[in-house]
Amino acid sequence: MVNTVKAGFASHTPNMLSRLEAKKPSLCHSEPLTAEKVRATLCVLKGILTSCYGPSGRLKQLHNSTGGSVCTTSQSAVLLRNLSVTHPILKILTASVQNHVSCFSDCGLFTAILCCNLIENVQKTDLTATTTIKLNTHLLNFCTSYLRSEACGCRIPVDFSNTQILLCLVRSILTSKPACMLTRKEIDHVSILILRAFLLIIPGNTEDPIILGKSIIVPLKGQRVTDSTVLPGVLIEMSEAQFMRVLPVRKSSPLKVALFSTSLSGDFSDLGEGCMVVSDGVSLENAVLDQLINLGRQLVSDHVDLVLCQKVIHPSLKQFLTLHHIVTIDRVGVMLMEPLSKVTGTQPIGSLGSVSPGSYGSVKDWCSAKFGWKHFFHLIPNEATVCSLLLCNRNDTAWDELKLTCQTALHALQLTIKEPWVLLGGGCTETHLAACIRHKIYKEPGSILQDDGCTQAELQLIAEAFCSALESLAGSLEHDGGETLTDMKYGHFWTIQAGPPSVVNWTDLLSRCGCGVYNSQEELSWSFLKSTCHPFVPQACLPHETEEIRPQSTHSLTLDCLTAKLSGLKVAVETANLILDLAYVIEDKN
Amino acid sequence: MVMACRVINKRRHMGLQQLSLLAETGRTFLGPVKSSKFITDEECHGNVLVSSTVRLLESLDTTSAVGQLLNEAVQAQNDTYRTGTTTLLFLAGAWSSAVEECLHLGVPIAIIVSVMSEGLNSCSEEVVSLQVPVHNIFDHMGSTKAISELKTVSVSLGPFLQDSSGASSVQEKHDLKDVAPRFTFYSLSGRPVKSSEFFKPDAKIEAGENTSQTLKSSLHTDTCFRKSVLVHSRHFNRTDNNQGIHKPDRFQELHGATTFQTYRCSDLAELAVGLSHGDHSSMKLVEEAVQLQYQNACMQHGNCTVPFVFDISRLITCSLPGLPETFSCVCPGYIVQVSIACAGLIKELENRPIRVVLIEGDLTESYRHLGFNKSTTIKTVLGSVKLQEDSSEELWANHIMQLLIQFNVNLILIKGNVSEHLTEKCVHSKRLVIGSVDGHVIQAFAEATGAVQVAYITQVNEDCVGNGISVAFWRNPLEVIDRNNRIAVLLKTEGINLITAVLTSPVSAQMQTKEDRFWTCAYRVYHALKEEKVFLGGSAVEFLCLSHLHILAEQPLQKGDHTCLGWLHHTSSWLASSLEIYRPTVLKYLASGWHKYLSALLYNTASYSSEFEASTFIQHHLHSAIGSGSPSSYILKEYSKLNSGIFNSSILNKLEQFPRVYDVVTPKIEAWRRALDLVLLVLQTDSEIITGLGHAQINSQKLEGFLFL
Repeated sequence: MVNTVKAGFASHTPNMLSRLEAKKPSLCHSEPLTAEKVRATLCVLKGILTSCYGPSGRLKQLHNSTGGSVCTTSQSAVLLRNLSVTHPILKILTASVQNHVSCFSDCGLFTAILCCNLIENVQKTDLTATTTIKLNTHLLNFCTSYLRSEACGCRIPVDFSNTQILLCLVRSILTSKPACMLTRKEIDHVSILILRAFLLIIPGNTEDPIILGKSIIVPLKGQRVTDSTVLPGVLIEMSEAQFMRVLPVRKSSPLKVALFSTSLSGDFSDLGEGCMVVSDGVSLENAVLDQLINLGRQLVSDHVDLVLCQKVIHPSLKQFLTLHHIVTIDRVGVMLMEPLSKVTGTQPIGSLGSVSPGSYGSVKDWCSAKFGWKHFFHLIPNEATVCSLLLCNRNDTAWDELKLTCQTALHALQLTIKEPWVLLGGGCTETHLAACIRHKIYKEPGSILQDDGCTQAELQLIAEAFCSALESLAGSLEHDGGETLTDMKYGHFWTIQAGPPSVVNWTDLLSRCGCGVYNSQEELSWSFLKSTCHPFVPQACLPHETEEIRPQSTHSLTLDCLTAKLSGLKVAVETANLILDLAYVIEDKN
Repeated sequence: MVMACRVINKRRHMGLQQLSLLAETGRTFLGPVKSSKFITDEECHGNVLVSSTVRLLESLDTTSAVGQLLNEAVQAQNDTYRTGTTTLLFLAGAWSSAVEECLHLGVPIAIIVSVMSEGLNSCSEEVVSLQVPVHNIFDHMGSTKAISELKTVSVSLGPFLQDSSGASSVQEKHDLKDVAPRFTFYSLSGRPVKSSEFFKPDAKIEAGENTSQTLKSSLHTDTCFRKSVLVHSRHFNRTDNNQGIHKPDRFQELHGATTFQTYRCSDLAELAVGLSHGDHSSMKLVEEAVQLQYQNACMQHGNCTVPFVFDISRLITCSLPGLPETFSCVCPGYIVQVSIACAGLIKELENRPIRVVLIEGDLTESYRHLGFNKSTTIKTVLGSVKLQEDSSEELWANHIMQLLIQFNVNLILIKGNVSEHLTEKCVHSKRLVIGSVDGHVIQAFAEATGAVQVAYITQVNEDCVGNGISVAFWRNPLEVIDRNNRIAVLLKTEGINLITAVLTSPVSAQMQTKEDRFWTCAYRVYHALKEEKVFLGGSAVEFLCLSHLHILAEQPLQKGDHTCLGWLHHTSSWLASSLEIYRPTVLKYLASGWHKYLSALLYNTASYSSEFEASTFIQHHLHSAIGSGSPSSYILKEYSKLNSGIFNSSILNKLEQFPRVYDVVTPKIEAWRRALDLVLLVLQTDSEIITGLGHAQINSQKLEGFLFL
């Protein structure tokens, strides 16, 4: 007896006495970017990200080396989520890229690599941070206004009466993620599904503002990608026993639906700190069950046909409702609550008290469906903008990657509604932009300089840093040791096998530019990206010209989402500016 | 938390090397003659006997990233198809060394990826010509005579493989004949030759009403009786011609005139033998299970107008280690082991219809349905001081007993666990309680008896109770009692759509293997029936892929031919233009994977003393096949030669019944795809990023080659 008291006492002591320790002084590093260690880690991070970039990018295996699951990816969202960086500068970089990705889904690697390139290039110039930041901002403004202007030579209008451009955009996104492990046929199949899913969530009426619906991705792992499909309405996974119980719809009038967000499992809500004292002979469980059955009676008298519940329905209540020909589907999950409420027009019911008739909604029809080994309850709405994309892939890793890619593609399509333009992909926009800046600096530097107190020489230096950051970003698309070129007419991006014979006719060696708009037979001249060349006016691909190109080659155009890329550009430059501006890192050592 | 990053793809690709090493372990599982492996745990001195890829990988320590990816790929294939894992493992190994060779030659990674996936796609399209339609298989259900004759024919494994173990089945048959008459169920050994005997009613279980139905169905099967003949189908010929028009292949044009025998499979026995791949005993059980399910479906629907679908979820196994092999059988109903203490109870319950309750959850006092959270902050106070005579468990059990008595229930099938106390009480009052029952079994009983599954026994009302179940011993209890004092019991009811395969083995270490093999066979038949097509087996498909790739490598790339470019046509990179230089090399390396596969297969069947000899043999056939212009017709021709007895003169007189070897279609192609996907995934990976390492771990590990962030 005594012993236990002692033991108990002893174990309490450390908690009761808080030890006092002298505070350690904070550590302060000045000019953090100049530190060798920071440069080295930044270089490693850049190396990781650059090697992932583009359709032939290399993949990364993420794992904890103790037998956890292995994730193979080349997407910035997954990489940055799993990288645990230690230095504050890297933290700023990853945080702003992650923020961009969470808003726009696409162009994460673009943003991160451009930011790293900018920091690296600017550091070589030895200009003061204030000047660089000022000039970077001017160049950024020039780029954004050019990309948004009518004169922009590297964008194509999106024609919503034709699926070609939209399909190219989706296909470009799918091909840029090699870890999805899709063949050409599978890419075509998934692209069409994504486009269909996108079209299904656009409301039929064209009232302003357009409120887009939601496409839900339903997992079906282990099956072939070509078994994937899109269905209007909501698919709810259920057990086989539940599947057998679903009765076919017998009436033609709209079917009344009740949607519960509260648990109907018959347990008691958390009582918190307190303790409830119940006298013997009183069964709380039975009391709650009685209440549930009363609720069931109300549902029956209100002629409800379908009861959906986010959480669990008590088996006895289920039995009661089934007896009265009400279909019950429980454990729907929180993810489906919002779309379900939207599709059926129900107010989710949050209490066991009486249900107001206004909370009920309706659906047109339902059926049960079996895909692969899984059983689903398929809810078909009257008219609503919700669809289910049943997505298959061979294994978990590839499925996760494909899911994220599909979400990115769906998001990119949605962004085109706001800004109905797409940018030329495959590195062409970057080299074209660089050519534009070079030409602008050469011809009319004053228009960029305004009166900021920066000299023309300074502008020249920073513009060179900025342009080569863009160009080496385009060059990062090449992973197999090829040479990167740009043509002297359109400023597009080209690649060629390394070490070509000097006298050979380049027209024969080159095939198409990065985005696929131009081929090498157009009397172009080329220069290596790393070499300096005389500034030229990059010509725009004129609208009628793209019309001409379309029939034979739109299939192979590589396109990027304009909105995402613009934001990426902005985030990259601003983050680089922020990092360059850092004078001190103060570390609290306590 | 620190994160480390290691570049694994500098000059030699570590990932690919690991993959080919890991895959090497499964080499001996390839083909019909499998060698088992002992896996020994050095620390625990435990041994496991494995003879399948899945079990091997389960027992191996595959904690490396590549090992885990391999494991994941094999598991995914197994979960989806339950077959093809050994093919996957072997090809993953063969192709990873092939890819490594390509890397040594300096082929850019993107080109390897593109050409290899294009090559495999092309092969998958090419092998369509070796598909055999599986139609109207159940028209021949009555032809048990033909089946029995087939049993005595040794199985040949296609044009290039001979099965050395085939002859043993004949001997087996004679051995089994002796024990047959004592069986009350349709069993492997006791299969009567004539169909009328096949339906011999069991007087004990099946009452008068049943007998008329059985007779009816045996009449029906008699009218269905037709001898199985392989016919030249004009329809099939026509589709072949169409293909020629669709795809103007230059070889097809050249050799379009060559006519060769077309095949179709329209007999279950033939299909089963073809898909058994040397495992006759397991396949016999599967075949009988399919037949039983078919007959049951016919009885239920009154006729066979509803197309019959083999529902594999209604097939379960009951493993009885320690019993002789001859006890293996399939029977309709549910066979389960119960404690010997219930023997008396079973005896009492025999010969009368029994009422059943089906429980979805556990049958214990503390059980609450999923999603019910028991609150811990509720305390019960006793209102008045009264002596508590019984514990709450006792009170609960009494309450349950009252309910069981009220509804006159003698059998309770429970998906979850059962309170032991209650089980004892039930045995005393002549009620049988069986826990841990498979969900499909409960579902089958629900359908057959009209019982409704409930979560709590308190939910039971008259409508929930099922009726008409019969309980009996499976065989004589004294014969089949096992070490743990458990006896097998058969529960069945009229028309229940459930079949139990009883698997027995005198060596209990083999039990797992036996079960795995049974399911592999069952799933092969399941996929073949579902897809209504099979491949000509005996590695004919792989051989066609091998020769097709060699031909493809010789063909020049046509301009604008997108299919040849794989995904590369999307990129306008220089790789697309230099594809032509590397393509033949990469395709030949892809083909080398199949070459290795075939040599290993031939070597494993023990007809060749070395893999080299086997390889030469394949090389010889490859030359002839390519020389003939159309490898697919070459293979078909070899097949017909086989049929006319050139290779096997012993079966000359049984020409038309000669069993062919078949392979499943989609699982096979998917296994190839998964293997190549895995290799290409590893190939494209250049670094591994290790997350969540503590400082201490990093310091203790070798730091070589790691970069830190």
